[in-house]
Amino acid sequence: MHGAENHRTEAAYEPLLQFEMEMGAFLSDWNHCDQLSSFMARMISHNRTDPVRHSNFFSSALNELLEVSFRGGSPDGRIGCAVYRRGPTERVELTFPCPPGQRQFYGEAVAKTRDGDAHARYLDSIATDLAPSREAVLLDLSINFDADVRLGESDPPSITLVVDLPLEGVVR
Amino acid sequence: MNTTALAVPFKAEFDPNSQEFALSGVVRPRSADEIAAIISMLKGAIEEVRGVLYINVKRLVQMNNTAYHAFARVLLDSCRTRSDIRFVVVTSSVVGWTERMFAHLNRIEPQVTVEVYDSKFYPGQSFVENTSFIPILRTQTKMTWRHERAILPRHGLRPGMAMADICCGIGDFAMLARKEFQPARIVALDHSKASLAYARDVASGFGVTDIEYTYGDASEMLLEDNQFDFVTCRHSLQIFNQPDMLLKELFRICKPGGRVYITNEKNSHCLGEPRSQSIQWTYNEVARLFSHFEMDVELGPKSKRYLVDAGFDDILVESFMVTNLDGDPQDFADIIAAWENVYAGEMAVKRGDPPEFIERFRQGFRDHIFAALHPKGYAGWPIWAASGRKPL
Repeated sequence: MHGAENHRTEAAYEPLLQFEMEMGAFLSDWNHCDQLSSFMARMISHNRTDPVRHSNFFSSALNELLEVSFRGGSPDGRIGCAVYRRGPTERVELTFPCPPGQRQFYGEAVAKTRDGDAHARYLDSIATDLAPSREAVLLDLSINFDADVRLGESDPPSITLVVDLPLEGVVR
Repeated sequence: MNTTALAVPFKAEFDPNSQEFALSGVVRPRSADEIAAIISMLKGAIEEVRGVLYINVKRLVQMNNTAYHAFARVLLDSCRTRSDIRFVVVTSSVVGWTERMFAHLNRIEPQVTVEVYDSKFYPGQSFVENTSFIPILRTQTKMTWRHERAILPRHGLRPGMAMADICCGIGDFAMLARKEFQPARIVALDHSKASLAYARDVASGFGVTDIEYTYGDASEMLLEDNQFDFVTCRHSLQIFNQPDMLLKELFRICKPGGRVYITNEKNSHCLGEPRSQSIQWTYNEVARLFSHFEMDVELGPKSKRYLVDAGFDDILVESFMVTNLDGDPQDFADIIAAWENVYAGEMAVKRGDPPEFIERFRQGFRDHIFAALHPKGYAGWPIWAASGRKPL
């Protein structure tokens, strides 16, 4: 864990923290999602207005993203997660290897978070799905955390999710 | 009878008497199978209750979508099969995402409603969170700090410690403690957003950025277990209707071997000369008045008992008297005048006391002020400082 080198985001976003690890090691224990999200949330929230509550909110969102990569990732390659800040917003860039063809799936799932019927789609998922799909998780981030979700540039077979979380404004 | 399952890292309980299913802790399963026991408990609760089932998620620190969907599934299915019962999800204003997530259930099934547990936290809350009280709180801390800066080291506060000030109010004690004892970390928690806004503003004005002010419910904090070397909670157990519940939380966040430090009053022992009888009568009535609102401002000398019952050892108790001779007597008089305004002007009125009682009640405060400002007078306000060590 070390200070992030900001290669991909625009200069206005200040790098805060990043981690990178072998995907195989990450996938070896489900609890990594909880442990990494809790640790990173605590570290990056210390100078927010309400560090404890910001950390709680941020951990919730980051954990969901890590769970998405855990469920959808493939074991070869590395997972990387970088957190940046601009004003009230934290940006999470999560890059992980996934099976071929998944880019289109994530592209469609991300697009649905921006649709006019995103809320109805999310309610329908709660009402009917036995378990949350990765699409529902991204909708959850968009609706419950006011997140802006998009796909970033990455070399296949990796995928990069870029999620802007304006939590400083949400944690009031 | 309470039923408990899966102690760590989350807990579920069903209390048939209150028809309440409570879920707390961190619930992040990989699959719904991992929480099958508590899902089953929820289903059992739904079968057992009549009329309404309360789903208490006030102490739910984290819940992933897998768990949320599993719980939502049970509730929504039950709405379809049990049209005779309502589900009330009780969330906390502290954990904001729970309110957002559970509110969606109401849009799917109106039988599920969400209530945010907040303003009715404890009976005296509206009085002590009144922002008009802020100036006097500053004066109170200024006067007690003269004593406490010497008392705190005796109770174990040292530079470099991780410290938490719970029920920090306007944050002035945290500022003073930070300056005097240079803690490695200091978290200051309160349930009044107005007080916290004031605290942050003052800190910002002084360029202080390392006090972590946080909004929270002292009886159900988001802070993790075993984090702090020294936990302070001043003048607060006495205004909660369940001080034992608060102490349990202070114990929880304190590291083993760390100490919890509390201060409380015994209001009936406020004193003054001259006019001692009038003063004593009024402060006896103050204790009765607070008792009416389920607050025990006589708690000070009971500190040892509370600390023992909460599981602390190596307990230290001492008392000190804030008097009109500590600095400017006008400061002491200002505190009493503020008490008169709140106790006689608001609380006694709310209790429904007759005007003649309120007038006599006010007179004792005025006599206390008279004693404080009299060139030969003496006026005192006794406070008990106590601490206990969390066993290793």
